Amino acid sequence: MTRSTDLRTLSFGCAGIVLITFLLRRWPQVSNATTVALGFLVVVLLVATTARLWVAVTTSIVAVLAFNFFFLPPLGTLVIADPQNWVALLAFLAVSLVASNLSAVARDRTQEAVTRRDELARLLDLSRDVLLITDSAVANSSLAAFIARRFDLDYVAICLPQGAEWTVFESGSHGHALSPVDLSAAFRAVEASTGARPLTAAGHDLRVVPLRFGTKPIGLLAAAGRPIESGTLDALAALAALALERVQFLDERKSAELARQGEELKSALLASLSHDLRTPLTAIRVAADNLQSTWPDERERREQSELIVAEVDRLTRLFQNILEMARIDAGAVSNDARWVAPSEIVDAARNRVEHALRGRRIELSVESDRFVRLDPRLPAAALSHLLENAAQYSPQRSSIEVQGTVSDTGLTITVRDHGDGIASGDLPHLFERFYRGASAKIGRSGTGMGLAIARGVLAVNGGRISAENCADGGARFTIVVPAEVK
Amino acid sequence: MNRPPRILLVDDEVAIQRAVAPLLRSRGYEVDVASTGKEAVSAVVDRRPDLIVLDLGLPDLDGTEVCRRIRKESKAPIVILSARGGEQDKVAALDIGADDYVTKPFGSEELLARIRVALRRLEDSEGPELERIAVADLIIEYNRRRVLRGDDEIRLTPKEFELLALLAHNADRVLTHRTILKAIWGANAVDQPEHLWVLMAQLRKKIEPDPGNPRYLLSEPFVGYRLVTVPPST
Repeated sequence: MTRSTDLRTLSFGCAGIVLITFLLRRWPQVSNATTVALGFLVVVLLVATTARLWVAVTTSIVAVLAFNFFFLPPLGTLVIADPQNWVALLAFLAVSLVASNLSAVARDRTQEAVTRRDELARLLDLSRDVLLITDSAVANSSLAAFIARRFDLDYVAICLPQGAEWTVFESGSHGHALSPVDLSAAFRAVEASTGARPLTAAGHDLRVVPLRFGTKPIGLLAAAGRPIESGTLDALAALAALALERVQFLDERKSAELARQGEELKSALLASLSHDLRTPLTAIRVAADNLQSTWPDERERREQSELIVAEVDRLTRLFQNILEMARIDAGAVSNDARWVAPSEIVDAARNRVEHALRGRRIELSVESDRFVRLDPRLPAAALSHLLENAAQYSPQRSSIEVQGTVSDTGLTITVRDHGDGIASGDLPHLFERFYRGASAKIGRSGTGMGLAIARGVLAVNGGRISAENCADGGARFTIVVPAEVK
Repeated sequence: MNRPPRILLVDDEVAIQRAVAPLLRSRGYEVDVASTGKEAVSAVVDRRPDLIVLDLGLPDLDGTEVCRRIRKESKAPIVILSARGGEQDKVAALDIGADDYVTKPFGSEELLARIRVALRRLEDSEGPELERIAVADLIIEYNRRRVLRGDDEIRLTPKEFELLALLAHNADRVLTHRTILKAIWGANAVDQPEHLWVLMAQLRKKIEPDPGNPRYLLSEPFVGYRLVTVPPST
């Protein structure tokens, strides 16, 4: 309620009194002390219900003066001859003042209830905001911002002690320099007393309340701007503390989860390595023993030595895969972009996995008149794993189709095979490390690292990889690498 | 046994098949090959092998499950190829009825020795029950319950004799802790290996020339014990 609406109500009140005075003077037959007093009282009450107390009191006084001047003899003067009329006039004044006061009190109560409801609604909104905070890195500053926004505050600061220093997360349109000394003093006061009463401290007109985990104070919340009731402020602090506790809890859970995943990965790596190393080592050992003995004939000797070479190759690839994965993990994959033709990438990939593609028909359709700017080694490495996979999981006589296209945003390479496709249960896990589909384990050697490596090397320059089954059978893998194009 | 022994080699790795199958054939065995647990079980039914060499890490069935199914069909000895580091699989398979194991990577002689022992046991068990057996430099007389080294009798407690007799009866074959505990103390004792440790220490003191460095009563770490008839020459 502003001053101008008060003045407007006052002028309406005065106009009402003038109108009643005019009407009752015009029709003297209905005018006596009672009708005049009641008429004026109606006006005073109307004013009291809509404006503040001083407006109602002023209106009452104007009404008393008009009553006296126009209706109490001798008329046209402020003199009262009859003592009876003195009583009437004073009674009128008393009634109108009491009525004004009553209605003002009632309206204040209403006003207070509305304020309460408003603050409750703000608290509720804030609690919703708080539940949406999941990123601990920005949790404290976004909490301060949410409080400032929801409560229309000029300044909000969440102050957390770090030894003798204070970390302060501020928000709002105004800035206040909070001195660590003042904050520490306020915090000591909070620690000493058990109550949660707000403290007025820190030099400025800041309201400071403690943030507590349970009963233990962990920091301070400072606010300035709109006045907030102390009860609301306490509730606000409790909510803020809960939010901080929640974020801390989420953080702990996340790190526990990460540790667990790390452990799982480690044991998966060990299990995978144990199998993938021991098998070729056993084959090599036994084949070497066979070569040393006298029984094998010429053909058998050739077979055994071929076996040794093949198994050594397998160990070499395993070693390369482990190395690549370690480099991805260590962030040691370099990214040296240069202009390159898509066919160069496809050729490089084919060379890398020549052994797997031996005897396979590859149908190439690669765009030749545009160039992309990227590190060709990355998509080539990814593509080589896709080709190896396609060769391994499709019949020997079926073809593998490789398509390279250049769009305005980069390079897309698809590899399509005519095997059995990917089991739907395997699709979501396809790019996880050491994941091997149930059917993939039968009769095929593999480490479960290829696709994870493909994804890892592509991620170095923002590339993506996806897999799907084709409607007419077989699987299709798609590599998309964003790049400059010319 | 007049015909050459027939061995079923079960391993999903083609490389192992290509190295091991010719090796076994070169020693006069007939060899069949299976790549999955299911193939293995049906080959046991169809081909009636005299011995099965079984890899525990098959793609379709759990190794112990394959062992159990084979045991239902055949009494032929099973020699396990284990690529896993975990001893639990091995012990579980041995408890179910496998006879021995070789850990990958293994050498040719190691595998062949295990196969020979397992096949010999098969022949022994087909013969009449023995009254006395000679193991290493010992003679064990079952019905008189005594052990002789040369002409001297080695005095053993009844439990020590039972343990020695059990191991000698399964000479060269690994027996799991569980199997021994069950045979000597009964099913309730399988979780109390300390009985076995104590008894084995006593037996070694009486049997072994150098009990701290046993040559005959060998530990298979985490798995069990084995009585070797021909100790390593070292």
